[in-house]
Amino acid sequence: MDDAPYPTIIIGLGNPILSDDGVGWRVVQLVRVAVREAGDERRVVVREACVGGLSLAEMLVGFRRAIVIDAIMTGNDPPGTVSHLALADLPGTLNMASAHDTNLVTALRALRRFGAELPPDDAISIVAVEVQDVWTFSEECTPPVEQAIPGAASLALRVLRGE
Amino acid sequence: MTRISIDPITRLEGHGKIEIFLDQQGNVDNCYFQVPELRGFEVFCVGRPAEEMPRLTSRICGVCPEAHHMAAAKALDDLYRVEPPLAGKKLREMFYMAFYVTDHTTHFYALGGPDFVVGPGAPPAERNILGVIAKVGLEIGGQVIATRKRNHQVIEMIGGRTIHPVAALPGGMSQPITEEQRQQIIEIARQNVEFGQFTIQLFHDVVLANTDYVDLITSPGYTQKTYYMGLVDENNHVNFYDGKVRVVDPDGHEFCKYAPGEYTEHIAEHVEPWSYLKFPYLKNVGWKGFVDGKDSGIYCATPLSRLNAADGMATPLAQAEYERMYETLGGKPVHHTLAAHWARVIELQYAAERMLQLAEDPEVADPVVRAIPTATPTEGIGIVEAPRGTLTHHFKTDPDGILTEVNLIVGTTNNNAPIYISIRKAAEALIQNGNVNDGILNMIEMAFRSYDPCLSCATHSLPGQMPLELVVRDNRGAVTHHASQYVPPELLEQFDR
Repeated sequence: MDDAPYPTIIIGLGNPILSDDGVGWRVVQLVRVAVREAGDERRVVVREACVGGLSLAEMLVGFRRAIVIDAIMTGNDPPGTVSHLALADLPGTLNMASAHDTNLVTALRALRRFGAELPPDDAISIVAVEVQDVWTFSEECTPPVEQAIPGAASLALRVLRGE
Repeated sequence: MTRISIDPITRLEGHGKIEIFLDQQGNVDNCYFQVPELRGFEVFCVGRPAEEMPRLTSRICGVCPEAHHMAAAKALDDLYRVEPPLAGKKLREMFYMAFYVTDHTTHFYALGGPDFVVGPGAPPAERNILGVIAKVGLEIGGQVIATRKRNHQVIEMIGGRTIHPVAALPGGMSQPITEEQRQQIIEIARQNVEFGQFTIQLFHDVVLANTDYVDLITSPGYTQKTYYMGLVDENNHVNFYDGKVRVVDPDGHEFCKYAPGEYTEHIAEHVEPWSYLKFPYLKNVGWKGFVDGKDSGIYCATPLSRLNAADGMATPLAQAEYERMYETLGGKPVHHTLAAHWARVIELQYAAERMLQLAEDPEVADPVVRAIPTATPTEGIGIVEAPRGTLTHHFKTDPDGILTEVNLIVGTTNNNAPIYISIRKAAEALIQNGNVNDGILNMIEMAFRSYDPCLSCATHSLPGQMPLELVVRDNRGAVTHHASQYVPPELLEQFDR
């Protein structure tokens, strides 16, 4: 099945200078090293990004599978909790005041309507790290989130290997 | 009944929320709007080399990194007292026009479109980009995506990256473009001009041909008379990249015109205890509370404001549409908040035409794109027009160029007070004697979107977007009405068929 040069994209999402919001970037650095050491660079593309909606959906064009690593703030779990979510687990807010395009689920549907080759929804995984501070400018994560980084990278690699 | 005093500050919950307090009769007593506060940016910057600012400030948010990149680069030019060579300036502006085309296209089709193409009365599940496509056809949706794609190519070609550019330096740009690249950009800009014309036509066919929409745009609930701000060139034409800031009064007369370095003489910031975000106002008129009119220093800085503050557009197709807009809406200035969508379409056309003008000038591919700074830095101010308002960057450094002070007035902050007035107007129109009209959230949202407020900086983390949430409380503080726009994913499936 892996005849495409880059069947999988792994994206560390967030703002790298906004404390815990940058956790995706930190995690993906570890993932990149592991992918390189495993000799998987032709099969797996690893990227950092600070985008959402249409721009994020556009990054997935041409890939068969995607793993997005991001901060999540549900308030239901302690900071540092790492979870593996499906696209369907994300709440859909369409008429938001803040974002400047549309959410990922809607953007993916829109691009598919235009014939873009995108991974199916069930091939898009989200590795989420529960965070507590996304309002303070800093290149450091808060301690519980910092401690969760290796575990989140391991989870992303397990998802990559289909475990 | 004894009135229970509610301390609004302690009652406000969370962030990104509108809370409306009613009086004993059930009418609006007061309302509050809060957005998340981003803390410590100045502390984060102080002690770093100033030349990092174009890259750092572009990280503030994922929505308009190019605008921050440009404003910071211009502030560095000023800081180091260095004038970029003409090719460097033109290259920056051409890059910026490609960004504007992308940003305005996305806003019009993905955010404004749901209100005007699908219609304000349509159910929330249809009021999104999928609903727009369903109404106008797949081909148009494809054009939107193609427009984004080709302009992202230009942004990457000149800026070094698709998002979060790295190319602008004090004194110019890090590298020139080749003649071959210039030819590619000419072709892309031509397609943009065509797309601009197409979008104007669509706006006429779908929005202006519908009298209900025109009535909505001109309705009192979406009308407020403030001062208007925008950057203009030497002919008082709209300019996004360079020029002086011009402010006109609510009658359309020039109130002041200042160079970026003079902004502190004209702009002051009012603070409210319930809001993290400050409320800028015109110092020489003064803060008179949340009221519009000539005696109030509140000003707007939106696409419509830029058109109101200028005498015209510098390119022919945009100018023709500019004239049509003012003719249709009864002359200058236009005070109808929702007309910002029309203004945005006109600006899209201007950005496309200006990009083509710049690309067709062979000088834009001149290899000399940077002047090396030699002056000792002290203080620098740079202003550009971000898509959502005038953007000011102000840096102070020690003689080694290490930052000692940083102040930014971002696009949306300019519009904080007008947004508040819009919310209050909608609340007063739709809440009477304790009855809350179901359309209130929709009305507030539409007013909101016309400002295109950039509040997303702090909300990158999943779920990633801030749904507008509205809470109405009676005079005892009890919640009587709670609304938020949430569409379950299964409702979207209708668009896959």
